[in-house]
Formats: sequence, structure tokens, C-alpha cells
Amino acid sequence: MSKGLSLCLMFMFSLAAHAENWPDEQWQSSPTASGPALQALEAYAFPSRDDVTRKGIRTDALLVIRDGQLIYERYAAPTTAETPHLTWSISKSLMATVFGVAYGEGLFRLQDPALKFYPALKKHPDLTLADLLHWASGLDWQEDYEYAPLKSSVVAMLYTRGHADMAAFTVNHDAYAKPGQAFRYSSGDSNLLSAALKNIVGPARYPDYPWTALFKPLGIRHAVWETDASGTFVASSYAYLTARDLARVGLLMARDGRWGDRQLLPKDWVAFNREPFSHAQANQDEAVPGGQWWLNRAVDGAPTPWPDAPADTFAALGHWGQAMYVIPSENLVIVRYGDDRDGSYQHNELLKLALKAFVAKVLP
Amino acid sequence: MNNFIRRRPFSAFFLVLLLALLGWIWQERVALWAFPDIISAYTAKEYCSCRYVINNDAEYCHSYVKQWLPTSGFIDDTVGKRVTVNGMGRSNSAAWISDRQGCQLNPSL
Repeated sequence: MSKGLSLCLMFMFSLAAHAENWPDEQWQSSPTASGPALQALEAYAFPSRDDVTRKGIRTDALLVIRDGQLIYERYAAPTTAETPHLTWSISKSLMATVFGVAYGEGLFRLQDPALKFYPALKKHPDLTLADLLHWASGLDWQEDYEYAPLKSSVVAMLYTRGHADMAAFTVNHDAYAKPGQAFRYSSGDSNLLSAALKNIVGPARYPDYPWTALFKPLGIRHAVWETDASGTFVASSYAYLTARDLARVGLLMARDGRWGDRQLLPKDWVAFNREPFSHAQANQDEAVPGGQWWLNRAVDGAPTPWPDAPADTFAALGHWGQAMYVIPSENLVIVRYGDDRDGSYQHNELLKLALKAFVAKVLP
Repeated sequence: MNNFIRRRPFSAFFLVLLLALLGWIWQERVALWAFPDIISAYTAKEYCSCRYVINNDAEYCHSYVKQWLPTSGFIDDTVGKRVTVNGMGRSNSAAWISDRQGCQLNPSL
């Protein structure tokens, strides 16, 4: 290759790097959308709020990042841009992202037995970290919050029998299937990952690891991650971030694990997060399970879970309407916090309206 | 036995029902014993986080944690950032630990 050509290429690459927007202290804002499409989105996401019956859609925050710039945000009191909102099960995807950094450090392999890092799993020697990441431990877990309080494993884990040591509580469940064979959404599986991370990175680094590995590199200043009494992060439920800070994780994922010029997560890690679990079946849950992320992918010949969104859409989802959608093909990250106490909020509807409002269609 | 069922069909029926119920209670004894803790533990923990992690005001947090089961004896120690709640004959508390670790249910402090 001639010197001239390589210089020219270098110049083009540096141009491309400069053309890419990244947040520094704050997100750069660019003019927001307006018009009937935006009105339709706001009418859906922010109807008048009923705090007595708590019925209907109750959005706390809606924030949209396009091409690395903040193009829309709106909050409903008391939530503001500074509120570290409870993410509930979005925490699971955050823990997977923290795991990705450890993966990049070469500290574990996906097919490692979880037992290697969490010895209490001795009755389940074939259970791998990949199985836990797929919510496919085969442990007989009941994930139900309000409707089956007596039998709910997750309520017992968070509030009664399991709260002091959630991973130990999870291990005491019997197996119903062989590991890696069947998907069953389980907060217990996510907390087993959190407990395994303690030995993956070592007990000395563990208490600071989410901050040193993920939050600080992304410029996230104010994150809270509650632990159980054994010091294990409650990876299933209890991370708190502002909407703006959560969107930083979304941008990292939209750009295949790269933050600026640093490949924080290996590309094959993000590919694993976004690959459907091989035994996933259609309509088992809100979307198709990947590696602790939810995918808008077609399985078993069924339609995609969110037909009005591109098939590369993936998401982190939590109780009471918490959601972060990442759409790499549109360079979009959407954070939606809420306090929905019924099932009226629909991911597909929000995505459909947001895409209409923010993605200009190229005319043929 | 057959005589008993014929002479006292209703008693026999309720006896079977009672035995089934006792069996179920025995089988579910651990879950049943823990069950009454849910409401006070949930309320204490989520109020603590609402108030001291998310920094919402007290009035909002009370309404945020409200469930269909009643609670009583709500104590919010705003100096120690410790919340204690009673409900269904049980008491639980949650306390704020640190900026990063937020609140914890029944911490061993």
C-alpha cells in the first residue's frame, strides 16, 4: 500500500471517529422532533396520571438518544433528569454488561461451570455460566410478584426467606429440567451470576467492580446498586440510575461494546447477549431471551415480539414498565421509566410511536 | 369405616377435607410461616429506597409503597435513615447503608 493511500485512509478514519457523537459530562442535545407524530407519542406515554387508582400508563421518564445525541426527554413528577430511578430487572442486563468487562479481562469462559465460581452449586455440576445468562438453569423457580405471593420465589427471595443471601436461597430450589435445556425466567439465576462474579473478579475487587468496570468508564457518576446482607449485588432487581445514565449503557450496546475508542466489552460478548437462546420458544415471555437481554427476534416461525420495530431491536426490561430499547440499525436508544401497576403499557406501541416521531423515513 | 361414611356422610367429607388441609399446611409450612412477613418487609425496604436512595418526598413514598394489605406502626427514623413497619403481626425494618449500596432489609448492624 502506498504511503499516500494509507495516510488518506487514516484521515478518513479520523473523520469518521470525529463524526461520531459521544456524551462527555452531559449528553449533547440536538433539536427535538415536533409535530403530530410526537404528540401521538406523548399522548400515549403521558396521559393524565391517576395517582388514586394507579391505573393506566404512568410514565416517569422518556428519553431518546439518536446518533449519540439527546434528541428528546420528558419527565413526570417527582422524577427528574437527576433522579436515580429504580430499574428493577433492567439490573439483570446491567449485570450482564458488568460481566462483559470481566469477560474482556479473560477471567472466565461462557462454558465454565458456575460451580467453579460459586461452590454452593455442587448439586448442579453441569450448570454453566452461559445457562445462567440464558435463564436456563433448570431450577424450579416461580417468578411471580403480586399474583401468587405464597408460591412466589422472587417475593420470598427479596423480602422473606431469601433476602439475607439470595444466591444461597436460589440454590435450595430443586431442578425441574437439565441445565441449558429450557428457558424459565428467573431472578434467582441472575443473582447466582452476581454471586459467581464475587469469585470471578475476586472478593477484593467485587464491591467496587460495577463502578470501576462499567459506570466510571461510561461517565456514570451516580449509580446505586443495593446488596443483600452477604454483600452480593442484587443483580435481579436493585440497580438505580438516572435515565440519562442508563442511556449511556444503551449507547455502549448499540455500538457493539465500544465506548469512544475503547472496546470496553468484547464484540463477541455483545453478540452473545443478542443471540437468541437456542431452546427459546415463541411467546414464552415478553420477548425472546438472549444473554440477560430481550430480543425482538423471530423464533419457531412466529412473528417477532414487537412487529412494528426493526428485528435488531433488543431491550433491558423491568417490573412496572421499566425499559431500555436499543435499535442499532436506527442508532436509537430509548429509555422509558414508569410506575405501571397494570398491564396497559405495550412495548410495541411505544416503539411504533417513537419510531414514527424520531426516525425520518427515506422517501423512495 | 364404610358404616361411618354411610351414617355420617357430611362429617366424613369434612374430615377428609380437614386432613387434606392439614397435609397442605404441613407441606407448605415454610412458605406459610414466612408469608406474613411480606407486607412489612416490602413496605420497609421499598419505602427506605424510595426515600433515601431515589430521594423522593415522604408523601410520595407512602403512596408508592401502598398495597392492599394494611400496615401499622410505621416509624421513619430520618436521622438514622431506618424504616420500621408492622403488618400481619410481624415487624421488619430497612436501613440506608451507603451512597453506593443504598438500603438493605434487616441489615445486621
